[in-house]
Amino acid sequence: MKVPLSWLREFVDAPTDPAQVAARLAACGFAVEGIDAEVIDFEITANRPDCLSMYGLARETATAFDLPLKPLGATSRAPAAAEAKTTSKPSVPVSLDDDGCKRYALAVAAVRVGPSPSWLTDRLHQAGIRPINNIVDVTNFVMLEMGHPMHAFDAMKLAGPEIRVRKARRGERLTTLDGQSRTLDESMLVIADAERAVAIAGVMGGAPTEVSASTSRIALESAWFEPASVRTTSRRLALKTEASARFERGADIDAPPRAIARALDLFRSLGAGDLSEPIVDAYPVARTPRTLALRRDRLDRLLGTAVPGADVLRILTGLGFSPAPTADGWAVQVPAFRVDVQREADLIEEIGRHWGFDRIPATLPALRTPPPPHAPEVTRGRLLRNLLTGAGLQEAETFTFIERAAAEPFAGPDGLVAIANPLSEKFAVMRPSLLPGLLDALVYNRHRDATSVQLFEVGSAFTPRGEVRRAAWVLTGARGEHWSESSGDVDIYDAKGVAELLASALDLEVIAEPADDVPWFVKGRSARLRTRGEGGIEIARVGQIRPDLASARGLDAGIVVAGELDLVPDAARSQAGDANRRVQPLPRHPSIVRDLSLVIDERLPAEKVRGTIRRNAPATLVDVREFDRYQGAGVPQGSVSLSLRLTFRHAERTLTDSEVQQAVEAIVSALTAEHGVKLR
Amino acid sequence: MSSLEQLRTDFQAALAAARTADDLQATRDRFVGRKQGLITALLKGVSSAPVEDRRALGSGANALKEEFEEAWQARAAVISAGAPVPDALDVTLPGRVPRIGRRHPLTQVRERIETIFASMGYAVIDGPELEDDWHNFEALNMPPEHPARDMQDTLYLGAPMPAADRKRHATLLRTHTSGMQIRHMEAHPPPVRVIAPGRVYRRDNFDATHTPMFTQVEGLVVDEGITLGDLKGTLNAFAERLYGAGIKTRFRPSFFPYTEPSAELDVSCLNCDGAGCALCKQSGWLEVLGCGMVHPAVFEAVGYDAERYTGFAFGIGIERLALRFYGLDDIRMFYENDLRFLEQLPL
Repeated sequence: MKVPLSWLREFVDAPTDPAQVAARLAACGFAVEGIDAEVIDFEITANRPDCLSMYGLARETATAFDLPLKPLGATSRAPAAAEAKTTSKPSVPVSLDDDGCKRYALAVAAVRVGPSPSWLTDRLHQAGIRPINNIVDVTNFVMLEMGHPMHAFDAMKLAGPEIRVRKARRGERLTTLDGQSRTLDESMLVIADAERAVAIAGVMGGAPTEVSASTSRIALESAWFEPASVRTTSRRLALKTEASARFERGADIDAPPRAIARALDLFRSLGAGDLSEPIVDAYPVARTPRTLALRRDRLDRLLGTAVPGADVLRILTGLGFSPAPTADGWAVQVPAFRVDVQREADLIEEIGRHWGFDRIPATLPALRTPPPPHAPEVTRGRLLRNLLTGAGLQEAETFTFIERAAAEPFAGPDGLVAIANPLSEKFAVMRPSLLPGLLDALVYNRHRDATSVQLFEVGSAFTPRGEVRRAAWVLTGARGEHWSESSGDVDIYDAKGVAELLASALDLEVIAEPADDVPWFVKGRSARLRTRGEGGIEIARVGQIRPDLASARGLDAGIVVAGELDLVPDAARSQAGDANRRVQPLPRHPSIVRDLSLVIDERLPAEKVRGTIRRNAPATLVDVREFDRYQGAGVPQGSVSLSLRLTFRHAERTLTDSEVQQAVEAIVSALTAEHGVKLR
Repeated sequence: MSSLEQLRTDFQAALAAARTADDLQATRDRFVGRKQGLITALLKGVSSAPVEDRRALGSGANALKEEFEEAWQARAAVISAGAPVPDALDVTLPGRVPRIGRRHPLTQVRERIETIFASMGYAVIDGPELEDDWHNFEALNMPPEHPARDMQDTLYLGAPMPAADRKRHATLLRTHTSGMQIRHMEAHPPPVRVIAPGRVYRRDNFDATHTPMFTQVEGLVVDEGITLGDLKGTLNAFAERLYGAGIKTRFRPSFFPYTEPSAELDVSCLNCDGAGCALCKQSGWLEVLGCGMVHPAVFEAVGYDAERYTGFAFGIGIERLALRFYGLDDIRMFYENDLRFLEQLPL
């Protein structure tokens, strides 16, 4: 809202330094966007439509500086004429067919259309409005001065003539003043004459009834429309105007006749026209003034300071409220223009902001109960980030909504979650997985000379069934770089190792199985991790990203391995149980180690071998670990040599070689029987 | 010159001429070698000397031997200092630095803020990113068609989804993390002291200063007797912990539908300390957060007694803070994940 200080000073003897006025009003809640010569640009918050006007801001200024506010119309521009009369037998009858309009005042005036004087066009220019002709300029001037939008119709072009406020008919068309032909619907309130819509209520007038150089009679509208109705219409038409901005926030229902009177005063003083008959004021249900109780105690308790009673009265009265003392405070009548003041807290804010937030002493609230723990998801998120960064992965933050083409390959059987009104195609769907965003980030870095990229992200993914928290990672390039040796490039075991690390940190025992049905991974190069035991659930998928997907996202060379872990609530719970973890007593007896080198079918998963060993071993088998896998000379075609290290230990006594030997023999014979393995 | 003095002169010359470990060994053999050493011979000769000379000769020879050993050690130290050590490694080559990643800058700033409030007794809570209308708007004093809904241009889902509480349907991407606070109040009676961090979404452009997705940390305190003064004191403490003790703060009245009174917190410009510069657009102040006393309508929506309890709330945009912390001018850098940027951050 651009406010020339000289205009403000027509109503209040404010300081002449714009910076001083701007600073004081900023401290009262009117942020300053900028100052250009004497014009201050205030940011008016959505709750203060009354301050989308010079007079509204003059009232704030007067209260802020404790100065008197001059009455509207007391300016030299156009002294107020005698109170305008109203009539019951108008030449242009008004009917309100919809309660979206609570008041409609109309004046019919004979006019001489011409250019406005320079004082008027200067004012409009300063406030950022383009002058058109004396009639339109006066309506805009009144809107800027007192905040109430008006509209002038060419009365000769109104069919009837009559004014009918009604809902638009479906498909009804109107060319608005901006030259756009608009199609209306039944949700929109319009001003119509006997035949058709002539204006969109509270938003914009129509071109066919526009005031032109040849207009000799106008019908001057000054009405009050329901904020929600104007807002809906304005949004549906994607048409925001000075008028709609004021009506949708809430106009002053007392203003319509006053605004007409003010406009007529200005017409007369400009020689632009005069009223030709009494004013119509259709106002079927008059507003009952709102009175709010303001309790002294509540005021002090909310602000944390005791503002003196005299200041309470000064501030409220200055802002247009009418406070009357009561036993425990005041009964405060709210002026019609303060649509935002609905309850006691709103009054307390008025006093607080004009008393000055800087004068309220800073205190700290007492902590009366012990603080509760953080949400388990928060603790878990920190653990995962610490582990993953410690493991050498860099944290990334990628967009939650991504382009459809990037998301589709990762979509589950239920499909994608689409956004109804995306900003652009790049942000069209919610990510079904964290991997597409990470893959793009990886490619971005590859294109900027990074050869080895290891990224992770912790966040939400979305399916039509809901939102799931996940951790995901993508790896490409060298495992590590050092002058002493080449450590080789990452492969799926690096991606799987990350999953195993996280599972162990979350206290989850997992088993792996091939997962050739994960569409974004290479078949034979992907695994699914499940929690061990009955009813085990899938918690992670790891594998190599399909090269065609990676190259579609711009990857030039190399392979990308990746993994994604579901952060199921169960996993969070076991993490929270950390505090109760008991450690095992350290073994008091030595362990015995046996190595087995087996020749097995190359398609036999190691997990099966391990399973057979465990099922056929005594309880003294405490660890099974693969330490070599070999294929080539000395191993038959189609077979592989797998070496395992078995560790045996008894908790109570030292094991003998012969009992371990017995155990190993039982294991070997089971392996032979179940899988046909041979010892090497 | 006595033979003792002659020997001293000789071994001093021999040691001075020694250049290598071999030279050193030869000198040692020559003077103190067990069989042919000159000093050894002298000591052996003591017993055959006349009785009256033995004592003097014995102590002189022993002293000379000690003198030699000392001089030899000193020379050996000098020579070994310059000599190549067999199997020496080039210790100036880089070590094997364990590979380590860094937390994202937005995580770093968020966790910094969480830590400050946790130290003041706040619990960090979590909640869904897809929200229903009640938790995102209505319970926050923003009924349908409320003009304040325009302040947060909302992204809607193409089709409703089950909401987090399973009673409602998620229809939108949360525009703030306030919904988490509503959920918390619905589930817990006062007192409340929580921090609600998370991603939020608004239908905003994507350019150097705007992004349709950003990160918020909101806070909420509810108890008997909470005042606007408590809000000021708490946020002053936060600003001092975040920016250092010299920071100045200012509270300006503002408007949010869910707080009454509402305010914005500014801090003295980090760049010019209030003198006025390009960063603060010559104002001397930087906007940090929005805050206010919880609107009684919010308490009524969650079933709290608005007469008995008061509270305050605040909301911080992480990206803007992080831009200033790291001296950046393009918000998009946070989502590009360029390693050349991320690897400059502290560990």
